[in-house]
Amino acid sequence: MQLDFSPEDEEFRTAARTWLAGNVPQQTSPHEGQAARDYATDWLARCHRDGWAGIAWPADYGGRGLSPERLVIWYEEYVRARAPSVLDCTFVALNHAGPTLIACGTDEQKAFHLPRIVSGRSIWCQGFSEPNSGSDLASLSTSAVIDGDVLVVNGQKIWSSYADIADFQELLIRTDSTSKRHKGLSWVICDMKAPGITVRPIENMAGVCHFAEVFYDDVRIPLSNVVGDLNDGWRVAMTTLGFERKTAAMGLQLDLSVRIEDLIARADAAPGSATAERLGLLRAQAAALRAMTWRTLFREPATVFDGSLVRLRFAELAQHIHRLAMDILGPDALLMSQPTHDYLEAYSETIAGGTAEIQRNIIAERILGLPRE
Amino acid sequence: MTCNLNRSEDQRQILDAAASMLDADFDVSRDLAADRDRMAKIAEFGAFSLALDEQSGGAGFTLVEEALLHVQFGRHIISTHSIAAPIAARLAAESELIDLVGDAVAGGVLCGGGGRLIDGANARFALVFAPDRLQLIDIAKTTVVANNPGFGHFVPITDVAFDEDAIVATSDSRHLLDIAALLVSAQLLGIAEATRDLAVSYAGVRRQFGKPIGAFQAIKHHCANMAIGAEMLSAQLDMAAIALRDGRDDATFQVAALRLLAPQVALENARLCIQIHGGMGFSAEADAHRFLKQAHVLRLIGDAAPILDLESPMAPYKPRLGG
Repeated sequence: MQLDFSPEDEEFRTAARTWLAGNVPQQTSPHEGQAARDYATDWLARCHRDGWAGIAWPADYGGRGLSPERLVIWYEEYVRARAPSVLDCTFVALNHAGPTLIACGTDEQKAFHLPRIVSGRSIWCQGFSEPNSGSDLASLSTSAVIDGDVLVVNGQKIWSSYADIADFQELLIRTDSTSKRHKGLSWVICDMKAPGITVRPIENMAGVCHFAEVFYDDVRIPLSNVVGDLNDGWRVAMTTLGFERKTAAMGLQLDLSVRIEDLIARADAAPGSATAERLGLLRAQAAALRAMTWRTLFREPATVFDGSLVRLRFAELAQHIHRLAMDILGPDALLMSQPTHDYLEAYSETIAGGTAEIQRNIIAERILGLPRE
Repeated sequence: MTCNLNRSEDQRQILDAAASMLDADFDVSRDLAADRDRMAKIAEFGAFSLALDEQSGGAGFTLVEEALLHVQFGRHIISTHSIAAPIAARLAAESELIDLVGDAVAGGVLCGGGGRLIDGANARFALVFAPDRLQLIDIAKTTVVANNPGFGHFVPITDVAFDEDAIVATSDSRHLLDIAALLVSAQLLGIAEATRDLAVSYAGVRRQFGKPIGAFQAIKHHCANMAIGAEMLSAQLDMAAIALRDGRDDATFQVAALRLLAPQVALENARLCIQIHGGMGFSAEADAHRFLKQAHVLRLIGDAAPILDLESPMAPYKPRLGG
């Protein structure tokens, strides 16, 4: 067991640190709308121009194909340099749709989409959840019938982040009307400008509109936009499970180690005080989350579900850190400053992408081997 | 040079050998009071000198293997003697009391801060853990103040008084204090893992309402929480052990984080293990309570540096935008 970085890795660290110091924007991102898109795409375009985009993507698809050592170096330098949050409107394309296309897409799909994604020229949203299919995703009912070489889609999706500013959507629909549950689903590329699509932004509890409902009324999607085989969409949707450990989510996890340093500096808590105790404990937990992040990169996982352990630990630690920030702010917590905004946004962490309860079921059943309900 | 957190073949071999020895002779249901006589088996295994260099009679392994071995000790509720002995051996070596190195390895025991001697019967030396120093004392030069029944007859507790001339050696070496904190934390991780496994196993076989209780989310989620706690602690143990072995700048920080979390995770997992066992968990006949008590013993020794006094390896380069 070793954690050694080569001299070449250290040169890479220096290059990353230098580039970030000279290029990280001096302003924070707008929270929503076209302004948020412009900020995120400008930043990604700048990263791409200088060879810092798609760092986990294979070089064949315009990425850097970085080793795990350099991925962790990059994200640690990234968060220490205060670079823009990785969880912006480019996240789904770079970390979910793009990797899915790389794993399952046709040559034509890859040639068209991947260069646009990695350079910030196209934004993607996700179309998985439905009003009646949240945790029970496999019960989804948005469906399509085949008309010649086109799928005709009707139904509704919800909680689709950045749907109002996205160019494309990774859309999971039922393409075999006789099918049930996981069978008969397809993963398709949906052009968000296609006729019949209506997007209704939804304001979240932080007062921001970055997610939306999407309605499909006879939306025509070419069959050539199906990724993987028709009716094999569940498998396609699951291919990115193993890739998750190499996504920008590690940037979010590592950022908590920086956030707790901010709180320690801001609080200036008296040694032995209750606040100092909480700060010390959260600092230790952030350090351990960093160790878990390193472990996901440098150790063979026992199961593909191991990511649930670190995912859930991150979500709950993030909420605890933001909660302490509110306590430290005192009366200023009532002002809609960045820490208050971040605190409110963090309530989504134990809901989005699989609730904490579902993650615990996965850990208990798939990792610990306890019986299904 | 690269990063790799998989266990090497050598590491797997020594851990497998230790597991065989411990499974054979140190079942967690055993009579713990008789452990003093069995300690020789662990000493013979080389456990107390594993990471000493070969010239000092050690096996030439490193702190990483030693820490992983102590996880197994935690899983088997081995006496705190197993921590005192390797620390005392290092203290004796550091103090150039070479003639004592062997004795310390063979007979050292342990003392909580002050004069509360834990599991000290028949021992020649005791190790005193204070927050900022370690001391080796000669038990023959102490006076017994009180013999206590101890924690539910779990380990013998003796209160002793001693003065300067009982002190054989003293060290305020941060490295040595960090090693003690690492080994204590490793044993607490062992408790966190063993209680997780015991609870999961019981939840899979105990049936109520016509199905295994592990099928109910209320139980399942307790088990998931135990798994998360153990995974978090285990990852941090790797990080701290490697940092300390390699003399990295952040070693003391990593150990401090580990040592702060270790008792919390161990005690919480032990609590949940008792809860999941229901009435059996509350009985002295089941093993669950033993882990809880051992965690309470371990938490009193091997303190790390206060974490807020240290520098984080993830310090930001400039203030956050927007406050």
